[in-house]
Amino acid sequence: MLFRSEAEIDSWLLRKGAQRGAVLSLERVWALAQRWYAERMSPHFRGRTTHEAQIIFRQLGLRGEFWSVAQRK
Amino acid sequence: MSLPPSESDWQIRQYIYTRLVGTSRAPTILDIAAHFVMRPAQAQAALRRLQAAHALVLAEDGAVLMAHPLSAVPTDYRARIDGHWLYANCAWDSLGIPAMLGIDVQVEARHPLSRQPIHFCVDGGQLVGAEGCLVHFAQAFRNWYDDIVET
Repeated sequence: MLFRSEAEIDSWLLRKGAQRGAVLSLERVWALAQRWYAERMSPHFRGRTTHEAQIIFRQLGLRGEFWSVAQRK
Repeated sequence: MSLPPSESDWQIRQYIYTRLVGTSRAPTILDIAAHFVMRPAQAQAALRRLQAAHALVLAEDGAVLMAHPLSAVPTDYRARIDGHWLYANCAWDSLGIPAMLGIDVQVEARHPLSRQPIHFCVDGGQLVGAEGCLVHFAQAFRNWYDDIVET
């Protein structure tokens, strides 16, 4: 979801009784979108493995448990 | 465990994306069956294989719900191309549309608290507008496909 400030995110989470996830700037999300979706309409697209997803995250500096496949259910 | 998608399944996926981009609407099971000259049950089975491979998300009735970054139903995130709106599943996916299509677009997002629109665009490959805005990802990556709607 898109918010204008950290305070708005806190307000939303309080209203929903939800846990905080990860927060990225919209600029960083644009960078992620370009890596994640650039090939999506290619007739050769056959999905992406979790390992390939992890490589994208790492290249964009997205580290930590939130972006990890570790402890997958 | 479902079989992996076949090559013809991937062609169906391509058809769905093309239709969604061109018309903002996902083809129905009957549309897919007619286009590929197959029985509706075969089309439905193909969609289930694609969903199992995380290549599509289906609604409870078996219709296409999501073809990431596109949504087959209206959402709070949409991008305007060629005079029509394409709906995205989330804020990230709203930027997935210009990323996927390689074009500049105007994006309109509905603020989750005020319900007021937030506008930004991709112009010349650069993000313009919505300065300072933040995106909250609710679900950790390892859970994305457990509850893709709430991710």
